[in-house]
Amino acid sequence: MKWLILILILALSILHHDVWWWTSEERIMGFIPIGLAWHAFISIAASAVWALAVFTCWPDELDKRFEEPASTTAESGSEGE
Amino acid sequence: MVLGIIIGYFCFLLGLGIFGSRLLKLTSGDYFLASRGIGPFMLLMSIFGTTMTAFALVGSTGATYKLGIGIYGKMASWSGIVHSAVFFLIGAKVWAIGKEHGYMTQLSYLRDRYQSNSLPLVLFPILVGFVTVYILMGVMGGGAFLEALLGKDVEGTPNMPKWLGMLTICGVVMFYVFWGGMRATAWANTIQTLVFMGTGVVAFYVITKGAGGVDSFFEAASKATDAVANSDASNRMTRARIGKGEFATYFLIPLSVGMFPHLFQHWLTAKKASNFKLTVIAHPVCILITWLPCCLIGMWAAGILPAETPSNAVLAIMVKRFSSSEVLRGILGAGVLAAIMSSMDSQFLCISSMFTNDIVVPHCGKDKYSEKQRVWMGRIFVVIVVAACYIIGLISNKSVFKIGVWCFSGFSSLVPIVVAALYWKRSNRQGVIASAVSVAVLWLGGLAFVFSDTLTEQVFGGKFLIAGLHPVTALISVSTVVLIAVTLMTSPPDEGLVEKFFGAQDSESE
Repeated sequence: MKWLILILILALSILHHDVWWWTSEERIMGFIPIGLAWHAFISIAASAVWALAVFTCWPDELDKRFEEPASTTAESGSEGE
Repeated sequence: MVLGIIIGYFCFLLGLGIFGSRLLKLTSGDYFLASRGIGPFMLLMSIFGTTMTAFALVGSTGATYKLGIGIYGKMASWSGIVHSAVFFLIGAKVWAIGKEHGYMTQLSYLRDRYQSNSLPLVLFPILVGFVTVYILMGVMGGGAFLEALLGKDVEGTPNMPKWLGMLTICGVVMFYVFWGGMRATAWANTIQTLVFMGTGVVAFYVITKGAGGVDSFFEAASKATDAVANSDASNRMTRARIGKGEFATYFLIPLSVGMFPHLFQHWLTAKKASNFKLTVIAHPVCILITWLPCCLIGMWAAGILPAETPSNAVLAIMVKRFSSSEVLRGILGAGVLAAIMSSMDSQFLCISSMFTNDIVVPHCGKDKYSEKQRVWMGRIFVVIVVAACYIIGLISNKSVFKIGVWCFSGFSSLVPIVVAALYWKRSNRQGVIASAVSVAVLWLGGLAFVFSDTLTEQVFGGKFLIAGLHPVTALISVSTVVLIAVTLMTSPPDEGLVEKFFGAQDSESE
């Protein structure tokens, strides 16, 4: 899955360089220049890719490192911090 | 009325500082890090609010007015990709290391990671220098915005001259940061981020209808775009004024969030690493909500305002011209100031904590001064830095966008240092110090071109670009090569040190 995320991010970075609309005055919804609309789409797509990364590749061990001593303390009858 | 609403908003922030001070336990951990207890939503709001500053509102509108819609692609959509990557790969990891070893600042981590007392002494002036430029951007942007928004009296004297606007903004932010610490700052950031995002949407709606001159939103937006298309500024609807190489290399600028010392401190306030998840996912969309309206307003301004309008005043002029109600104008003005102040507060707190924890304590000892005295020393240091920003702000009228990009370039060039600290076991203090010095020298050299258009014209024949690429490309390349080369030419770090920062993680992952 890490490779898929990496490929998606590389794809976004390539799509970001949209030379094909560099000087186009075409509009979306009658008022947004297509070059701007495309980059608004890139922002939404970035959010989707990062959501996929968070749900599939999040390093859970970062929190687990601190959970273990807390549960040990709780077992011994203390509340911890 | 406009002034009254803005003063009311300032009073609300002062009240927040007083409220924060009642909750504050006078320990440096609570003052600087809110006792590491911040949840996912407040973390998102404080991180997003901190990264969106005068640059995002005043700067983006003015830059789009001058250069066209490519500003969104250069900064906002690249930031959506790169910022989240930094929060994912650097932020969450830094949080875990910070919690494990009790670090309060970036420099305390790097000092321990490289077992070097000289490293903070080298990095401290560099980071404070970059943060000073960042604060300067907020102070100048805020002062220019207030002056343009509040207009002039019958004799032509500004109702809120730039010097007074800058002084008021600095005073209000210093008050609530000093009295409420990180807890008040996190609350203020959350509230201010919601305020500026909410008022931003309202401002966009009002300006669109005003600029188009009809009641229907979409019809008004189309008419406003028609006005640009039919004017001499029609190229603002495209990227004709931006080079392709420059556009591509702008992805290096948002890397700067990896070395913002004030953001580093916000990362450490999280209660859990998983609290970063919401920030990683939502950050690109939050950027979109803030930047897209500003870029459209900047583009429409190009078809409406005279060609020589100062870029820092474009947003305020558009708000003033198209919001007929004074109440609405006051609320929108408060929203823009909220965005500016939500970054300045974190920067003030961060330089205060760096001075206290990384300069005073290591060199004077922990017992020489009480906790309370140390907090006060940090506050005095902030006053000195802010006074310097204020004086520079009075004499400079440079574009907020231009200053901001150079400031971010400096931070981006230091990112190889934090990446090496987190991921490269072989990295050592000699390599890191050499890299930091190379960045400082090159950045200071480049600063001359940022502040002197004549010099830029003479040396580069127009824009400050190297072979068509943004100079940040050269800065990052040099800092990376120096880091790697000097590290490999000098002795590796002690095994015990590597074990301390990588051993535990390796064994856990096995």
